[in-house]
Amino acid sequence: MGVRDDQKAATREKVLVAARDLFNEVGYEETTIRAIAERAGVSVGSVFTTFASKAEVLSHVMSHRLAELYAEFDRVIPYLRGSVADRLSSIFAIHYEFETRRVKLFLAHVAASYNPNGDPGVTPYGRNPRLNQMLLDVLDEGVRKGEVRPDLDLQLLVDTLKAAYAWNYRMAAASGGQVPASEMSAVMDRQIALIADGWRPR
Amino acid sequence: MSFVSVNIESATDSPVKLTRRALAKQRTRERVLAAARRLFSERGYEGATIRDIAQAAGMSTGAVFASFADKSELFEEILTADYEVIHAQMTQASRNAKTVDEALLGLFAVAYAFHVEQLPLLRASIAVSWTRSEAAERRARADLKHIFRLIGEALRRGVEEGQLKKDIDAKLLAEITWDVYVGNYRRAIYDGWSVEALLTRLSEQLKVIFAGARA
Repeated sequence: MGVRDDQKAATREKVLVAARDLFNEVGYEETTIRAIAERAGVSVGSVFTTFASKAEVLSHVMSHRLAELYAEFDRVIPYLRGSVADRLSSIFAIHYEFETRRVKLFLAHVAASYNPNGDPGVTPYGRNPRLNQMLLDVLDEGVRKGEVRPDLDLQLLVDTLKAAYAWNYRMAAASGGQVPASEMSAVMDRQIALIADGWRPR
Repeated sequence: MSFVSVNIESATDSPVKLTRRALAKQRTRERVLAAARRLFSERGYEGATIRDIAQAAGMSTGAVFASFADKSELFEEILTADYEVIHAQMTQASRNAKTVDEALLGLFAVAYAFHVEQLPLLRASIAVSWTRSEAAERRARADLKHIFRLIGEALRRGVEEGQLKKDIDAKLLAEITWDVYVGNYRRAIYDGWSVEALLTRLSEQLKVIFAGARA
């Protein structure tokens, strides 16, 4: 990498950190590109040479964070034990734990995914292939071990679980972000148990 | 809406004049609501300012604020009005159904058909629901309560008629049903799914959710 590329990467990193913190502390709508530049100690122009819009900054902040989360998962996954329901519970619990560290940021990301003015440089919330694959893998193993009926559409189960998972963040949204991860995980565990009642072989 | 004004001072005041004033006020509200609906649909909730809405309605921002306390009240009034339009149909669809699945699919079919027709407004309303103030959240919950009551009724009838087990966790079942119903709008938004496709998906999801609850 040349000096210019180094500089560009450093600016990018600084902007992403500043934006992440401002979105979480002040709010996404309330944060301007100018404020991000100021916090990052770079010029407004250099933010715009790296990102086309604030929506794109948010999108990159989130994908940057996911890299962190999935590094955690790479370490943890081999050690997951217990029934299919137990392992799904652990996967969701880790997600709740991770996202509640900066819950306002996360809620802004979800909200932005419904915003009518989403631009093309943005990867919206809900398009997360890693989470989907992890859940499918657990269910698939459950089928092989006879815990899950083989005639079920596993992607349909995954979609149902993900819908419940995502909508539990409503608890955080409704309370201004004051709900601890453990509370959301506890509700999720009950939802998993309920759906598990239906996937067991009879 | 009540047309009885607190400004009535004496019996000699002409009722025609009062009504005319009340009607003018009503017309102003309607003009604001129509302009707001269009702008929220085009620009999203954050993208539409009171100033834009006033301009589109052909009046001053002051005139808008005379009818509505703030933007969130204006937005909620639109959503509540929409909700009132479909609530009766949802109730009817649910109560006329023979089975739990029919009842749930029936009431959500009404909602899907209505909202898919005006997807931009729905997108704005879901976006707002993730970041709105606690006061706005409490007000929005009142509308939700009605829908959860309908779901609850459908489940109770399912238990009484022996379709569902007696010991089901009705609240949890209702919540997951709601989660997948709302979650499916993403398919309409991002993948252009039709109402029929959404209902087919919902029907499959209900089978997954209720598999363990069937009697």
